Amino acid sequence: MSKKSVKGEYIETDTGNKVSRRSQIIGTTNIILGGKTVIQAEVIIRGDLLRTYPTSTAGEKQGNPVAVAIGRYCFFSRGCELRPPGKLYKGQFSHYPLKITDHVFIGPGSIVEAALIGSHVNIGANCVVGKFAIIKDYVRILDGTVVPPNMVIPSFSIVAGRPGRVVGEIAEGEVDGMDLREVYRAVGNH
Amino acid sequence: MSSFTPYTYFQCPCTEASLPNHRNPSQEEPSSSDDDRTFDPRAPRANYSLYPLEHLFYCEDCHQIRCPRCVLDEIVTWYCPNCLFEVPSSSVKAEGNRCTRSCFQCPVCIAPLSVSSLEAPPTGLGYEYAPQNGPFVLNCGYCSWSSKETGIEFEKPNGIFAQLARVKNGGEPILTAKERKKDRERKRDFSGTSAEKEREETPEVEIPREPLDPNEKLDPESQFSNLKAFYQGQLAEASPASALGFTGDYGYGSPGALSRIMGLYTGSTAFDKKVKAKAGTMREAQDALEGLQLTTISEEEEALTKLRTEGWHCTSSASQRAEFLNTNAQFITELRPVAYLLRTKRSKRCRTCRHILSKPESKVSTIRFRIRLVALNYIPSISIKPLQPTSSASSLLQPMRPVQFLLTFKNPLFDSVKVTLATPTKTPGRFASKVTVLCPQFEVGANTDAWDEALREGTGEKRRTKAEASEGQHQAEAGKVWERGRNWVSVVVEVVPASLHIGGPEFLKNEEMKDDEGPLKEDEDVCEIPVFVRVEWEADAAHDESGLGGGGSKEKDVREKRELAYWCVLGVGRIAKV
Repeated sequence: MSKKSVKGEYIETDTGNKVSRRSQIIGTTNIILGGKTVIQAEVIIRGDLLRTYPTSTAGEKQGNPVAVAIGRYCFFSRGCELRPPGKLYKGQFSHYPLKITDHVFIGPGSIVEAALIGSHVNIGANCVVGKFAIIKDYVRILDGTVVPPNMVIPSFSIVAGRPGRVVGEIAEGEVDGMDLREVYRAVGNH
Repeated sequence: MSSFTPYTYFQCPCTEASLPNHRNPSQEEPSSSDDDRTFDPRAPRANYSLYPLEHLFYCEDCHQIRCPRCVLDEIVTWYCPNCLFEVPSSSVKAEGNRCTRSCFQCPVCIAPLSVSSLEAPPTGLGYEYAPQNGPFVLNCGYCSWSSKETGIEFEKPNGIFAQLARVKNGGEPILTAKERKKDRERKRDFSGTSAEKEREETPEVEIPREPLDPNEKLDPESQFSNLKAFYQGQLAEASPASALGFTGDYGYGSPGALSRIMGLYTGSTAFDKKVKAKAGTMREAQDALEGLQLTTISEEEEALTKLRTEGWHCTSSASQRAEFLNTNAQFITELRPVAYLLRTKRSKRCRTCRHILSKPESKVSTIRFRIRLVALNYIPSISIKPLQPTSSASSLLQPMRPVQFLLTFKNPLFDSVKVTLATPTKTPGRFASKVTVLCPQFEVGANTDAWDEALREGTGEKRRTKAEASEGQHQAEAGKVWERGRNWVSVVVEVVPASLHIGGPEFLKNEEMKDDEGPLKEDEDVCEIPVFVRVEWEADAAHDESGLGGGGSKEKDVREKRELAYWCVLGVGRIAKV
């Protein structure tokens, strides 16, 4: 950001994240970006939805609590929303962290409340990923899918429908094409 | 209209090979006609042989493309897609292909069910450490269905499968197969005289000779087990207890069965008589204990009144019944949670040479492959983009106006390849577009390691090619490559899209048009170009024998000519309707 004084669409961080000036990121101290992640305009990331339920392990590190953890080479398209999932547990409502690993693409207008998204996951446009869903690696979620809450999607699945169900498998050759490095490089700052 | 993304599909040669054999096995096809024959992507058969490059494999032994149709699948691991637990194949055989832990799908909407307690959450000091108590139910997070609706509750939050197997919809216990068997045996031991006493003990189970209790309704599993037990008993009685003492199992190995089979062929009367005599002793199931379920009028009336009062919404849909194992479930209240079907990790083999094409790691959690011979790493990929950037709002092809497309061939091999393209001058189908490949023969450079690529990128090799292209050619020239990179080449193909006009003067029509003058069919406006691609390259011959050792180093210099030829289909765009 310091080098490029000319105001572009994106703010570039030291680790190579490209964050749109028109995105809404709330609770920035509770969000971890692994680097080289693109956040487009009108993306909402709710870092303010922190875990309030006390952790069972007493030896928790004193540091910034994490609400959203994002890996490298992720791409969040225009208008998508990331919110940590919340639930009532033993009479107390609490949010839980949302973890997104590397090479995750989220299409425009999608709402994600998953607990975990593995690497090389492609979520299409206008999807809803329900609370506490666990999506493993190499999964493609087609446009308009509603992934029900608590669903576990195993690796190499193609999911579609309302409610989402596994409709196919990722072919062996498709695995290479789910890398988002090229997509990141193609994002210019203008 | 939705936007059109150009696509490339590759034809697997497996259909080519099987085609002549099916048609005329005796008569040899003349080679000339074989050469003339062009591939028609619109043929009904073509659908089954065209795949995107990502779906194809490459067999290193046969040196041939392999598609999902010509590979063999072998199951490496069974696992539950919900809890991701590996299920050993022995227990798959014993317990069936469903998860036997606590993974269930909603019978109404197939979303996963979660276990929750019906009890109010504990309060007061240390509430977070207090254990949750039952009863527990299964809840659907998607459609809010609950197992409580059908009267199913559980005592423990784990081992739901075993608990569910013991309870009927409505909460009544189910007799397990073992208990039923015990009951049956007991029944046989007692004679009819002690029936009264027996009835007190086990009210659900019917006693033979007494009229069937209409309320006794068996669930499908126990009905099946009863029927099976009954027929097994019948067979055991009917089959002759041979001298060797084989009874019951009725296998073909038993002497009784063998003699019967022999009797079929010899037609010996002695055996015939015996068989007839046996057939007489067989009878059908007579009551619920033997697995017979009678439909009573009251049951039907119940169903009718339910339909009348609750309407269509209380009935189960066909898809719900298909998901549920019992296809007789007419009402939603009869549906039960569906245990997750297990999923598999599979390795793939070439059908012809049994060479392994793909083998995943057996562990469920790992996503690596031990072997992965995908066509992507052997065959040049083809990408299509229009040469002139479409400035106009519509991305449709204007009929009768020539358009040029760039075909970019990217070579994944570490040897340079010679590519020869051939297309029919007119695309097959009713609307024949004219196609010209401006440069049908070219060489694509070898691929290099990713590391080399990264090093070389700094020297600006890519830029040079682009500059060259921009200064040299503004007009696509016949016989010349448009643009060239380290391991890729772009060539221009010119298309004159056909007019989608159906009528018109007779002399303008082609054969197919004369045959069929119906209205435009679905996707008939898509301009698809069949392209025959021939790839030639020289590979290290020693590569195959490297495993044998010995003279590997000596043969390293020997280069082997390789050739691969296949049909592709390029979908370039939709033709505008005028």
